[in-house]
Amino acid sequence: MSILEVKNLKAYYITQKYGHINKVKAVDGVSFEVNKNEIYGIAGESGCGKSTLLKAVNGLSKPPLQILEGEVIYNFEDRTMNILGLKEEKQRREIRGISISNVPQGSMNVLNPVRRIERSFKDFIGAHKNIKDKEKFESMVRKHLSALGLDWDVMKAFPHQLSGGMRQRVTIALATILKPEIVFADEPTTALDVVVQRGVVQLIKKIKKEQKNTVIMVTHDMAIHANLCDRIAIMYAGKIVEEGDVDVIFNNALHPYTRLLLESLPRMGDKSPRVSAPGSPPSLTNVPSGCRFHPRCKYSSEHCKEEIPELKEVKNGHRVACFLEEVEK
Amino acid sequence: MTTEKKDVNNSEISNFQTNINNPLLKVDNVTKIFTKGQGFSKSTLTAVNKASFTLNADNPEIFTIAGESGSGKSTIAKLILGFEQVSSGDIFYDGINIDDIKGKKLKTKFMKEVQPIFQNPFETFNPLKKADTYLFETAKNFKMGEKNKEQIIEDALELVGLTLKEIRNKYPSEMSGGQLQRVSIARALITKPSLLIADEPVSMIDASLRMSIVNLFKKLKEETGISVIYITHDLATAYYVSDRISIMLRGQIVEMGPVEKVLDDPLHPYTELLKNSVPEPEPNDEWSKEISLSDMETKEFSREGCKFAGRCDKELDKCKKVEPDYVKIDDRIVKCHLYKN
Repeated sequence: MSILEVKNLKAYYITQKYGHINKVKAVDGVSFEVNKNEIYGIAGESGCGKSTLLKAVNGLSKPPLQILEGEVIYNFEDRTMNILGLKEEKQRREIRGISISNVPQGSMNVLNPVRRIERSFKDFIGAHKNIKDKEKFESMVRKHLSALGLDWDVMKAFPHQLSGGMRQRVTIALATILKPEIVFADEPTTALDVVVQRGVVQLIKKIKKEQKNTVIMVTHDMAIHANLCDRIAIMYAGKIVEEGDVDVIFNNALHPYTRLLLESLPRMGDKSPRVSAPGSPPSLTNVPSGCRFHPRCKYSSEHCKEEIPELKEVKNGHRVACFLEEVEK
Repeated sequence: MTTEKKDVNNSEISNFQTNINNPLLKVDNVTKIFTKGQGFSKSTLTAVNKASFTLNADNPEIFTIAGESGSGKSTIAKLILGFEQVSSGDIFYDGINIDDIKGKKLKTKFMKEVQPIFQNPFETFNPLKKADTYLFETAKNFKMGEKNKEQIIEDALELVGLTLKEIRNKYPSEMSGGQLQRVSIARALITKPSLLIADEPVSMIDASLRMSIVNLFKKLKEETGISVIYITHDLATAYYVSDRISIMLRGQIVEMGPVEKVLDDPLHPYTELLKNSVPEPEPNDEWSKEISLSDMETKEFSREGCKFAGRCDKELDKCKKVEPDYVKIDDRIVKCHLYKN
């Protein structure tokens, strides 16, 4: 059963200046479902709307970000709700941190630099659960940290005393201490070097195994997706262009953009020349007509310029938004 | 093939690479110590610890310095560019110690020939200035082509695959990261340098555009004979682009040699860990082994023996106490007790 259903979500940044309305179509008609207990990856270049999608799904939209259409339905164990339908911030707060949780990008900006890590944990838990008993709090944190393989000593440290990788892992531990059913991770490995990155991936896998939760992983690093995810969606200019099982995407991608993205990745032990996708990603204020990838696509035809291809299922759960597939059928 | 093993001391390392008699850049036993605090709370941090390497002028190459964050790779770049002063050791550029580069004439010559490229193209450029002014200013400051500046700029832009028409009168915010980084490389090329120092030039660029920048370095080396010091933590692009690589750990170079040899068959356990940590875009090739990470950076910096001892799975008794010497194996060097005769 799917734990999260997103239906035709449209989230635009709308600004107004001297009567001129400027729309940035960051998320434009995105639909997907996430199954229970899987790691779902969302990949795409910077500026393709991945982070905005996460914000909207978390119900964190604040002006100028506006949600124009769509539904975001959570099927938790005990209740089902549409987070966009909730009127009051208070109701959304009851879900966040407890049922869904967010691992943000750039851990150095998340932890308070003048407080020990322990205080951050106390703040976080205190905001969601009423735990007055000091011993109970300690035993809860201790259990969680030891399960994740972190040392109790970090609780007494200030953020600057920890290395970047350690800080990122502490942030992940903080986000998952209340055993949320869904964990959203927004670029948790970007800006970390390879060894630490591997440690973080290892930790996310461990948490998933321990707590049996669902992880939604957003990153532009395809290699991380290959290592971690069960299913991935490829985003391009505010739309999902391809979605499928990780094996299918990496070995049998159909959309020309996905193929270009995968072909450009350098691999160890291989010095054969590789080329980048031609051109650069479009600005979201002024997206190309029809298929948004057509100016960079070598297979594009007149049809691509006029009509927007729909995301259609090709074969068991593999969905592609491209006219090429229809022609071949 | 017989394997030749030989112990070498620090000062020999910079000379050992296949008898270089015309070095372009020689980094000889360089140490940089940062001090912080004053009085009783004074503490020191050795960011670069006795590093040595040489680039050959006759044979341009792309030399990669790789390592974790905090391994001192950017500090080396700053030392070579003269942004920081060395604490001990010498850096020679074209036979002249860079400490002795004084006076306008020598300084301009040095700045002309050694050009930097920085990490984040959005921070390199002033957002309120048009990007092309940087190109014209560089041409003016270095008195390049006084009569036809535009031609010189056009030539530099052509090398990076842009035209002056495309970027004229545009602010940095109107360009993509990949375009800006190419403008930043074109700016460095205006003075016709012989050495480029690129500090993490692709880490802020999108995956789909990253290869265009990396390919550019390859092209520059092959077509114009520019040597590049490529500083990165991304071993996959390093393998793709470079000729030689040196792996740094907490200020020390722990392994150095031709890139295929070092990364295909790593000798130092740290290089092996780095190599295995590079995620491969293969879904069935997941990491199975768990690794241990360093928690406190300062602990590793101040350790007396091998800096990797706490995390190494091949640790010997002496590793924590005695600092290993460099061992020369064929055409590479490694700093590890495992390979001592």
